Amino acid sequence: MNRYDLIIIGAGPAGLSAAISAAKNGLSVIVFDENSKPGGQLFKQIHKFFGSKEHKAKIRGFRIGEELLKEAEELKVTVVLDAIVTGLYQDKEISVKIGEEICHYKGDAVIVATGATENMVPFEGWTLPGVIGAGASQTMMNLHHIKPGNRVLMLGTGNVGLVVSFQLLQAGCQVAALVDAAPKIGGYGVHAAKVARCGVPFYLSHTIIKAEGEDCVRGVVIGKVDSSFQLIPGTEKHFDVDTICLAVGLSPMSQLLHMAGCKMQDTPLGYVPVIDENGATSVPGIYAAGDVSGIEEASSAMIEGRIAGTKAAEYLGFLSEDAAKEITAGLELALDRLRKGMFAPENRGKKITLTDEGIPVSDSLLTRGYLDEDELDRFPGIAKGKGIHPVMECTQNIPCNPCQDACPRKCIKIGENITSLPIIDEENSCSGCGMCVASCSGQAIFLLNEDYEPGYASVTLPYEFLPLPVKGDTGMALDRSGKKVCQAEIIEVKTPKAFDHTSLLTMKVPLDMAMKARFYKSRGCSHE
Amino acid sequence: MNKRNDRLAEIGPFISQPDDDMIICRCEEVTKGEIRKAVHDGMFTLTEIRRYLRTGMGLCQGQTCSKLVKSIVAKELGLPPGDIEPAVSRAPMRPIEMKILGNDRKEV
Amino acid sequence: MGNCADVIIIGSGIIGNSTAYYLAKKGCSVIVLEKSDHIGGGGSSRNGGGVRQSGRDKRELPLAMYGAANLWPQLSDELGMDVEYYQNGNLRLGKTEDHLKILNGLTERANAQGLGVTMINGNEAKDICPYLSDEVIGASWCPTDGHANPMLATLAYYRKARQLGVRFITGEAVTEIKKYKGKARQVITDSGVYEGETIILAAGYESRKIAASVGVDIPMTQALLEVLVTEAQPPMFYQMLGTAMADFYGHQSTHGSFVFGGSSGFEDFNKDNETPVTNSQTASCICRGIMKYFPCLSDAKIVRTWAGFIDVCADHVPVISHVEEVPGLILACAFTGHGFGISPTVGTILSQMATGEDPVLSIKDFRYDRFHTKI
Repeated sequence: MNRYDLIIIGAGPAGLSAAISAAKNGLSVIVFDENSKPGGQLFKQIHKFFGSKEHKAKIRGFRIGEELLKEAEELKVTVVLDAIVTGLYQDKEISVKIGEEICHYKGDAVIVATGATENMVPFEGWTLPGVIGAGASQTMMNLHHIKPGNRVLMLGTGNVGLVVSFQLLQAGCQVAALVDAAPKIGGYGVHAAKVARCGVPFYLSHTIIKAEGEDCVRGVVIGKVDSSFQLIPGTEKHFDVDTICLAVGLSPMSQLLHMAGCKMQDTPLGYVPVIDENGATSVPGIYAAGDVSGIEEASSAMIEGRIAGTKAAEYLGFLSEDAAKEITAGLELALDRLRKGMFAPENRGKKITLTDEGIPVSDSLLTRGYLDEDELDRFPGIAKGKGIHPVMECTQNIPCNPCQDACPRKCIKIGENITSLPIIDEENSCSGCGMCVASCSGQAIFLLNEDYEPGYASVTLPYEFLPLPVKGDTGMALDRSGKKVCQAEIIEVKTPKAFDHTSLLTMKVPLDMAMKARFYKSRGCSHE
Repeated sequence: MNKRNDRLAEIGPFISQPDDDMIICRCEEVTKGEIRKAVHDGMFTLTEIRRYLRTGMGLCQGQTCSKLVKSIVAKELGLPPGDIEPAVSRAPMRPIEMKILGNDRKEV
Repeated sequence: MGNCADVIIIGSGIIGNSTAYYLAKKGCSVIVLEKSDHIGGGGSSRNGGGVRQSGRDKRELPLAMYGAANLWPQLSDELGMDVEYYQNGNLRLGKTEDHLKILNGLTERANAQGLGVTMINGNEAKDICPYLSDEVIGASWCPTDGHANPMLATLAYYRKARQLGVRFITGEAVTEIKKYKGKARQVITDSGVYEGETIILAAGYESRKIAASVGVDIPMTQALLEVLVTEAQPPMFYQMLGTAMADFYGHQSTHGSFVFGGSSGFEDFNKDNETPVTNSQTASCICRGIMKYFPCLSDAKIVRTWAGFIDVCADHVPVISHVEEVPGLILACAFTGHGFGISPTVGTILSQMATGEDPVLSIKDFRYDRFHTKI
């Protein structure tokens, strides 16, 4: 029998991280993945990650995947692709379909890191071609470079729905609307704001009534629901779309663990194995890490993977109990830091009305996807200043702090707790370098200069669309809701390498538009 | 596991609903109405529903529909979905041609 | 609802369910207690669905013949649900002279018992089933054999019995049968006590532990067999299939999928980890067996495999018996993997035994006390 110290199933963020941790401690490790590319969902993630440095924040997902893969290879981890693990049997034996053969492997320990699949929601016409998972559309766009459709309606305003909507816009699709049966947006407000300022409307407390079309999706009808999710007659609304994306949650792919006899439980995070804080299941030597043990983010999956890899090393005697404890203690701290704030797992489904700082949460952000101008003053990142200065429209406690490190002048403070809202340190003055703007994974930081020219202000914004405007272009400035508010002239375009493909557009707008204009639309641009 | 379940428990009559003809299990083309009816025929567990109607027995092995079936059955029984035990997971995790499954790599 | 009934049946497999149905039809009150969460959770939902007469032990053959002639053909109508019964014959295939010798022996024995089985050559077999490999040189052929869907048949009996008022309780593990004034009377479970005039123990291998509570033992063991199923194929053939060497057995279902059962040869030595989980090697072995006879199925995708225990009796035929030393107790176990095909007959007989009628067929060969030492 082919035997390894550790078998890992799934080469995504959790699996690769586990492999690295284990191999570092001397284990022989083999990783199987059914896909032809390693990295799992990371290679579809073209956006910058949240968190702090230890969580690989502000690095784009696919780059993190590349880094992990390189590190695993350097540690002589064997990664076998196009390898479907068909079963996890007694004695930690797996059967793997590789090519035209079934191969058998045994591991002294097994880490299952198989991730999750997309949930579906049934409505009339949901089986029509053109109704697809949001993740599937992401695969089409970012891995296969195929436009999933021309005009898309997105159901679901969790982070997946928001992030994919933005990526659809980037790919040149029109997004007709974002719809969610919940009365408030489920994902990060900053993700919603990116989409809203492109002009995409949000329909909260709405659901899809039916997909229209005989042979494929030709349209969709949505309607408003009451507080018990019952449709309110007469509220139907039709959209011409050719694609309906469903971003209605994920389910752990925990079948292998179930089959292996691990104790399972039904939780709000999915049907998952019962695990301890180190990912150990009820079967000694079998561990679970990442989404398969409960749906979270890739950032936490990577840490869970590292913990499981470390514990597997300890289980097999490659690490002393003390040494393992030292490593996992640090990792658990990093995990805790991610799991704080209003989006922490324990807050799922709860109504949060105040930030940790005691500031009322923006209602407009939660229902329309953008901050209302009247609400801006109460947030510490949005301060008026002389000359050029950052405006940080970051109003929710999300685990993220790259802006703090990005500012060479230390103008921005978040502090120890990475879910705190950023505040402006008045003592230090902004140089206008734009590093904070480019570093903000939520694209929520803008540079304002109300003294740009008499009667005019400059607004610098992050921009990740093509074609890139050039200096001297004129177009329209859009407000946070995507409404055209005034003429704008591009006065500077910066794309240094340090910005990692986030371009900074600086546009000149009338002074009274300084706190309104948040996006730029050149003439003939399609994203609306 | 092994929760006492009296199959004469009163769950009320089957009342048809306008969306009963909506397909829930795409692989085996099982509708919502068929699932609801099966509950009234006494199929109180997902395993029984599966054997009775073939839900989740197609190519995707319930990856897509199992959660949906579960919520329909739970609603029909008046239980929270968490009380309904998912059907077991069985190898192979993905459909495999007989000629490949029968082709174990020879150990050297 | 009370815990008393005319008959308490322990085990909700197809034997228990069919008995419950036939009893309810006679107007008896019945309670069925099932340990697992699911109706038919054991071997009844984990077999190849054969409704065979050929290849049966001569003691068992009358049960099979009675069912094929009188019960199976009407069963779907009677239960109000399609149990997917096909009476399209059974082909037992051979590829070598040695195989043919085995098949000849089976054929002769069947004919001696009055069952119509003939030996046919490879061409004749291909006329019946054109998908056979050219390597098949002969087969035994029993045209009155067939197959049905074991999951549906088990649930159909349950459904109908429930409609007739039988009370089924799943998740109810029986720990003990208790005698009261010299007669089996009470059935003790984890959660309570049930009482019946008659207690029928039809709990597969689990029966052994329960029977021990009244000091009765049946020499049986359990073996794990596996079944696999393909994705739906176009309609091809509806014979029940087997081979001289028992490489596999199975059929194509109404749905189009092929259901094949088989073994690896290590069944007697499987590790018992309490749940019937598949082995990493058995399905592959069964596939190789199938492809030797049906190369055309080699591209069919296997979507699922499962395993189930059979209760193997020391002499390979079941125990269907009153227990005189424990009046009121009827045993129906140790079916040795042959229980599905004869379940309508056995259910009929058990219902007759429980109501004091004379069974429609003799059951003297299935007595619980028939086992003797070898010397």
